[in-house]
Amino acid sequence: MNSVTHPVFPERIMALLDGELSAAEARVVSTHLDTCAECAHLAERLRTTSQLLSAWRIPDIPGTVEESVADLVDKTRSGLKTGLAALPLRLSRLTWGRRAILGAVAVLLVALTLALQTLSIFRHAEVSAYRAGSPQDQVEENRGSIGKLSRPLNERQLPVSGRQITKLNELVTATSPGVAADSNGLYHGLGDHAESSISVDGQPLTDQQSKIFTSLIQAPMIARTVSFSIVVKDFAASRSSLDAILARHHAYPAQLGVSTPENAPRSLQASLRFPAPELTSALRDLRTLGRVENESQGGEEVTRQHVDLAIRLKNARDTEQRFRSILQRHTGNVVEVLQVEEGIARVRSDIERMEAEQTTLEHRVDFATIDLQLTEEYKAPLNPPAASVSTRMHNAFVAGYHNASETVIGIVLFLEEYGPAILIWLIIFVLPAILVWRRYQRKIAAV
Amino acid sequence: MNGKPVNFDLERPATAETDEQLMVAFSRGSTDAFGQLFLRYKQPLFGFFRRRVADPAQAEELTQDTFFAVVRSSSRYEPRALFRTYLYAIAYKIFRAYRRKTALRATFFGAETGSRAPALQSPSDAELWLRQAVAKLERLDREILLLREFEQLSYAEIADLLQLPLNTVRSRLFRARMALRDLLATPAPKSSPTKLAEREEYV
Repeated sequence: MNSVTHPVFPERIMALLDGELSAAEARVVSTHLDTCAECAHLAERLRTTSQLLSAWRIPDIPGTVEESVADLVDKTRSGLKTGLAALPLRLSRLTWGRRAILGAVAVLLVALTLALQTLSIFRHAEVSAYRAGSPQDQVEENRGSIGKLSRPLNERQLPVSGRQITKLNELVTATSPGVAADSNGLYHGLGDHAESSISVDGQPLTDQQSKIFTSLIQAPMIARTVSFSIVVKDFAASRSSLDAILARHHAYPAQLGVSTPENAPRSLQASLRFPAPELTSALRDLRTLGRVENESQGGEEVTRQHVDLAIRLKNARDTEQRFRSILQRHTGNVVEVLQVEEGIARVRSDIERMEAEQTTLEHRVDFATIDLQLTEEYKAPLNPPAASVSTRMHNAFVAGYHNASETVIGIVLFLEEYGPAILIWLIIFVLPAILVWRRYQRKIAAV
Repeated sequence: MNGKPVNFDLERPATAETDEQLMVAFSRGSTDAFGQLFLRYKQPLFGFFRRRVADPAQAEELTQDTFFAVVRSSSRYEPRALFRTYLYAIAYKIFRAYRRKTALRATFFGAETGSRAPALQSPSDAELWLRQAVAKLERLDREILLLREFEQLSYAEIADLLQLPLNTVRSRLFRARMALRDLLATPAPKSSPTKLAEREEYV
């Protein structure tokens, strides 16, 4: 059957029998069927096939379906929520959209839980950091963020460096409320008062430490550090202002460096030491230098270190004194005298080292450190074009060639480096996947 | 609205309303309208699944699922196409999901895909012969043939349902009919119904 002898395609004969042709097309095909025996035979074959298929009868549907559907319609009519609520929750019945929504909700819940935990940890860290010795400035800055937590602490109004606190209770961290010194005025770390012990930095005090602590310490010793990053418009003027600020507050630069690169903004990096009582006003002055990009403050409580150092120093001095007494009162052979003198020398060395440490520690407390970075607002100069258009095009072509060759080399290197591994993984995963896919196709064809 | 349980009055004479009108009425709360639709389509829909699924109980469940889907989505129904097309689109979607699920289960767990029907009915030799012949057709050709011959969908509706070009539907349908004619040219086997049932290949 071809289009020369049969101007009507066989599909059109089938379409005529199925009633899929327009009236005009149907007339043409019908006319051809009247004159062509072969096409008429084809039409007869198609009709016969359909008639044969009509013998495929299906038994009546069981009545249980009607009952189930009627039950569902009844629930719908009664206003009960249909769908998931009316049917058992089966994931296979959910659409992909609903599955996606359920998944998104689950992910959201997990993220929310994690966020709440993180927030809780953050708050705990803030409060801990505060209890470790937040200075007054920090109290004021954190008032908004910590809210209620900061208020009771803020009310104490701890002086930063005056060491004028009269109540020792305010210097220590009580693990339970209502802790006070015993009848002798001593704070016990363990023993009779173990259940309501007090501590510095979370460590219990011994009786000896407590006694010395009481006699030596009048205020918390906090070594303060501030980090500033400021962008200034006029670098030279800001530099002069900085010098003036240093002079006004009796401060000094521990380290200072200026960088003036070409075609780049100038910058200054300095580590400045300000007397602790001057810190608040110095910070205020420094903020006027320009736009503060970054500012962070910190305070390290060194009270315990200082107390420990004082105790060790006192013990060392006592030891030295005892050595000297022995040397004065007792005479022995030369070896014994030399041993005592060696002991005195060793203890003296320790005393001097500890005195230096103590001085440094007190200096850190007396002088706050400000790490300052001043950066100039960069204004690009208007320079003439560096090169001609042809030169720039040539350079661009060369750069493009280099980039292309580097890319090709990179791909080759990547394949050399990872190709064998990728091949192994492909063999491991793809072959079983193909087998599973073929099996799946066979099974789906059998359904 | 009252608390009286719904009971589809299957003895009630069919109304002259179109399927689309009935569906719109159902979406507005008329249970009787759905009863009429159920009356009209319960058997064709069961036939749709029964010709494609080996297990009659499974075909029954899929029929039920299709009506459930129609009830659930009734509030969103818009009469943009024939209800018949809408209904068979849902049925075909449910059938495809069932086929995927069954094939996956069979792939990984080795379950039976062509589970044999319990011998509740004993189909005639001619019917089994037809089923065997149809089962030998290519899957897509078979689907087009069944949709045309039994669901009486137009070429355009089939093309829309199967996401195929109209010409593809026409040529595949022709090919399926020719192939089936050749398959049916051999005489029907003379075996007993029991033996035939053992060899039965459901579509």
